[in-house]
Amino acid sequence: MFGRKSVKNPAYRRYALRMLPVSLLYVGAIMLASRLVPDHAEANPMTIGIALLPGLAVLGWIWTMARLLIELDDEYLRMLEVRKFLVATGVTLAICSVWGLLEIYTDVPKLPVFLVFPLWAMGLFVGMLVNRITQGTAGACA
Amino acid sequence: MNNRLKILRAERGWSQQDLAERLEVSRQSVNAIETGRYDPSLPLAFRIADVFGMTIEDIFLRGE
Repeated sequence: MFGRKSVKNPAYRRYALRMLPVSLLYVGAIMLASRLVPDHAEANPMTIGIALLPGLAVLGWIWTMARLLIELDDEYLRMLEVRKFLVATGVTLAICSVWGLLEIYTDVPKLPVFLVFPLWAMGLFVGMLVNRITQGTAGACA
Repeated sequence: MNNRLKILRAERGWSQQDLAERLEVSRQSVNAIETGRYDPSLPLAFRIADVFGMTIEDIFLRGE
């Protein structure tokens, strides 16, 4: 009668199955770029092409997270994920904007744009905590 | 929004997981609705009403 056990929504399984290869691609591309392109190399089509390979994996992460929101058919679980994304976005905007002002007016070190995505990912953890405190459950994905 | 979900579920001897499977949602969803932490969408409210064989107004009550 009940065709779908909802203990663990299948969308989460697909999310994990997609995240794994994309993350492996990221690590491999970073290692490849580090090996083939010396630090501060001249920007030419070859160095730019190699340096962009990890970017493809980042696009894959973003696509994977978008698919999770699309495929998650449990509206409450989807709300928990959206809340995490919103908290992560707020955390990232706050840190980058405030640090950017510090960079303008003081001699603090530059925040590499490369760190924006890791900052957002850390913001997801903050979002989990917010869900845990306000909803009593964190949601399944980090 | 208040609701009578917990009472109606208890009258039928269903666990939260039983109701979740009937509604094809997670147990967390049922818990969140029962405790008033989450108000379901209209389509889910209709599904809840169908599962109990009642109208939405019989299950969900006006007020905070």
